[in-house]
Amino acid sequence: MILNYLAYGVAAWVFLWGLYGIVTSKNLVHQVVCLAILQTSTYVLLLAIGFKVGGTAPIFADIPVGAPVVDPLVQALMLTDVVVEGTVMALLLSMVVKANEVAGTVDPEELRIMMG
Amino acid sequence: MSITTYIPLPIAIPLVVAAFLAFTGKWIGRRACDTLAIACAAGNLFLTLAILRGVWSQPYVYWFGNWWPRPGGVALGICFSIDAIGASLALLTSILTTAGLVFSWWIFEETENHFQPLMLIFMAAMCGFSYTGDLFNLFVFFELMSVSAFALCGLKTVEPAPLQGAYNFAIVNTVGAFMIVIGIGLLYARTGALNLAQVGRSLGSTRADSLVLLAFLLIAVGYLTKAAIVPFHFWLADAHAVAPSPVCVLFSGVMVELGIYAVARIYWTIFSGPLAAHVGALREILLLLAALCAVVGALMCFAEHHLKRLLAFSTISHAGLTLAGVGLLTSKALGGFVIYVLSHGAIKGGLFLCAGIVAHRLKRIGEDHLHGRGRGMWFTAALFILGAFGLAGILPFGTLLGESMISDAARDFQQGWFQYVFVFAEILTAGAVLRASFRIFFGWGDPAPTDESSRVEEGPETSEPHNKTPITMLFPAAALVVLGIAICFWPQLRSTADGAAQTFVNQPGYEDMVLDNTSMAVPAKPPEESLAGSILRSSIAGSLALALALGSVFRKRLPALSFTRSLEMGNRALRTLHSGHPGDYVAWQSLGTAAIGGLFAWFLR
Amino acid sequence: MSGRTRTILFLISAAGLAAVFAWGLRNLPPMGDYRGPYGYVLTRVAVYERHATDTVNAINYDYRGFDTLGEEFILFASVLGVLLLFRPGGREDKSKKRVQLEDALPVSDTLRVGMQAMAATMIVFGVYIAVHGQLTPGGGFQGGVILATVPLVVYLSGNVKTFEAIVSNPLTTLAECGGAGGYGIIGLLALLGGAHFLTNFVPLGKTGDVFSSGTIAVISVTVGIEVAGGFLVLMQSYLREIIEERLQEGR
Repeated sequence: MILNYLAYGVAAWVFLWGLYGIVTSKNLVHQVVCLAILQTSTYVLLLAIGFKVGGTAPIFADIPVGAPVVDPLVQALMLTDVVVEGTVMALLLSMVVKANEVAGTVDPEELRIMMG
Repeated sequence: MSITTYIPLPIAIPLVVAAFLAFTGKWIGRRACDTLAIACAAGNLFLTLAILRGVWSQPYVYWFGNWWPRPGGVALGICFSIDAIGASLALLTSILTTAGLVFSWWIFEETENHFQPLMLIFMAAMCGFSYTGDLFNLFVFFELMSVSAFALCGLKTVEPAPLQGAYNFAIVNTVGAFMIVIGIGLLYARTGALNLAQVGRSLGSTRADSLVLLAFLLIAVGYLTKAAIVPFHFWLADAHAVAPSPVCVLFSGVMVELGIYAVARIYWTIFSGPLAAHVGALREILLLLAALCAVVGALMCFAEHHLKRLLAFSTISHAGLTLAGVGLLTSKALGGFVIYVLSHGAIKGGLFLCAGIVAHRLKRIGEDHLHGRGRGMWFTAALFILGAFGLAGILPFGTLLGESMISDAARDFQQGWFQYVFVFAEILTAGAVLRASFRIFFGWGDPAPTDESSRVEEGPETSEPHNKTPITMLFPAAALVVLGIAICFWPQLRSTADGAAQTFVNQPGYEDMVLDNTSMAVPAKPPEESLAGSILRSSIAGSLALALALGSVFRKRLPALSFTRSLEMGNRALRTLHSGHPGDYVAWQSLGTAAIGGLFAWFLR
Repeated sequence: MSGRTRTILFLISAAGLAAVFAWGLRNLPPMGDYRGPYGYVLTRVAVYERHATDTVNAINYDYRGFDTLGEEFILFASVLGVLLLFRPGGREDKSKKRVQLEDALPVSDTLRVGMQAMAATMIVFGVYIAVHGQLTPGGGFQGGVILATVPLVVYLSGNVKTFEAIVSNPLTTLAECGGAGGYGIIGLLALLGGAHFLTNFVPLGKTGDVFSSGTIAVISVTVGIEVAGGFLVLMQSYLREIIEERLQEGR
């Protein structure tokens, strides 16, 4: 029974660790990578939701239509997610690089110019 | 051309034009880029207006790729289900984008023409967000809106402050976006569908169990992060302080409100059936959240001296008020929500453009540095003061009508205490804007106390000084404030809004319309209630705001007025919480999610 | 807040979140059989309706093609954002000579020979993946990324002139913008025939052929071009930015 829900537990676990990383980070690059880790928890969850025991890939080039396959829709959702994540990380990392160039630091503690 | 041909155009055309501008920007020069972008935004204005007229009485469903739903109500494709409320939000988006692009004619000399395509993409994303009827499509447009917003926010990269603002914005919103994805996954696991109507029909009216509640929690928290509701609001002030003024117009005018619209949308298409048994408890939780947001926003607003941060906190406060419009979970309040959003969007847009004019002419944005330097800018001063009274919701402004509908609905459900939250928020936010205008444009009283954030100076957006405000800046600001007033005079606006809201909340009718291609029943327009109570409350709020502003400015004359100084310095603890550190913001986000989750688990099981 | 307070605050909320997750996730259907009509209907009909054997790409580029349009523009907007952030001007010394990429390139013989061999293989592989999107796993995004790394491999093999020529060529920007705009235009073309946006109007061909499934193949190739262009533009911005920074520190 535990195996049925293990994947969901892993997703929640990774999510919480990603959040912990973001909150306690002392380096902006580290923070962005923790955000990426946070996203992998969504992938684990989506793919676990779409899994079918005994199913194979939903490519019908060599199997007949009607054979048991895993859910193609969550894979399509995940592809969208991957592209979104990659691009948001690119933008965030370029902000970090620019911040390093302009302010000379990547420590969020020292970068807090606006407060209150 | 029938409405069927118009519908994808407000999204497709700006995207294609943006791609074209990004490529040819180097060669066709600044003015041609600007003209093309303004023409595209104006074209969107007319398209969204035509769509609004087409869906005024009967919502319309448009299936992309000709993928009509299968018999049995299985939707394979993506649909746009456009009703009057969504269409009016798209129209507001187009109006504000056109105003912003016209305003930016004389500023931003060195962006290599990447600014205009990003604004067009932003506009297309927000229009698509208001129209869509599919859960994942809502998320995709949410992300498109967010990414263009992050890019636009960090436009002025010469100082470190814009990077801090854009980075905090990006981190907090992206964490919210991931929560939305998890929520969507959970709903898909339960129902096997992504179309809003199909998910709603599949969940039916079976009492919500913990999975459905968790999905609601995650999706709502994600969208409320965009809507800058306390405690997910910390990013907004940082982002607004550094984003250029035309971009702030879009952020405060419509992007934040779209987050609340999304919560209303998913509630009324998916969750109103499963949560029907607990409507009262949910109503109280949402109202409490709204009140907290309005009060914290108002207190911080009065304590700010950086003009744009001040306006940002007033947006947070008013976002709390509009959340009440949705949180009362009834059609009358939802009608009030629409009217309030439309008029507040126009007024706040006008105020941000005025702040942009001040920054452009006077090269500074802190109230203390600007003391008395605005003398002679009488037109901008008039717009600023008018806008302040618009925030207070007095008579000729549309915000009055919105507030009256929400307050009436609150009284219907024995939550009449919320009216006083309205008054409190209006006094403080309008008072803050009035105080700033008295100091800047008239030079009354002593200079404002300096605080940390007002030391963040706005780098000049152009290199040469201007001694006269160009008409391309004055005209959009004036037009937006006038629009905020004109909305009030639309005949029978409150019954129309209530009727449109009744269509919005009709879940069974919506499902049949989308999946079985029937028409929705046209609701009878209810009679309008008296405005007398609202006029009284808003007049009191307006006069008290004026008194508070005058009292703050002239506080040295009367020792009794010294309390205004502590109001202006703000609560020390509250100010320290807004620390600028992204880790703090995400920590509060997690705490808020856990707390609201706990409330749901206890009261809604 | 000090770091310590922040961590304590977060640990409390994490405990709460973990409890909320456990309470909610236990009602998920157990892993191993997915529920619901959407996936089942699609696996039955996609091959017949669209002559596409790869159901995932049929969903991505046809059934839910509108989502992919949005996603492609997310990539486009990010690239624009990075270009905006890294734009020249606003630097202190604009008069500095424009950095040459040769200035910071380490090359060893193994790398040079190996990368040249790889570059050719990767071009073929990338095109194969992008063009066969409707038949096998792969498609536009994946193929585009593989193609985008080809100039990088060329750069690593020491052939800097070719790399410069490829990424500075206006064709790269044309690829990126044309790919993005092209997707929108394919959708709009469907409107001309009176159908709804993004309808598949190209003849469907025979299942299993390379040129089958109508607009799915066309959109897949368009997306591949856009992704390749976008990543190349990104790579160029990053490389210039970082090399300039290193040189400023070094001198």
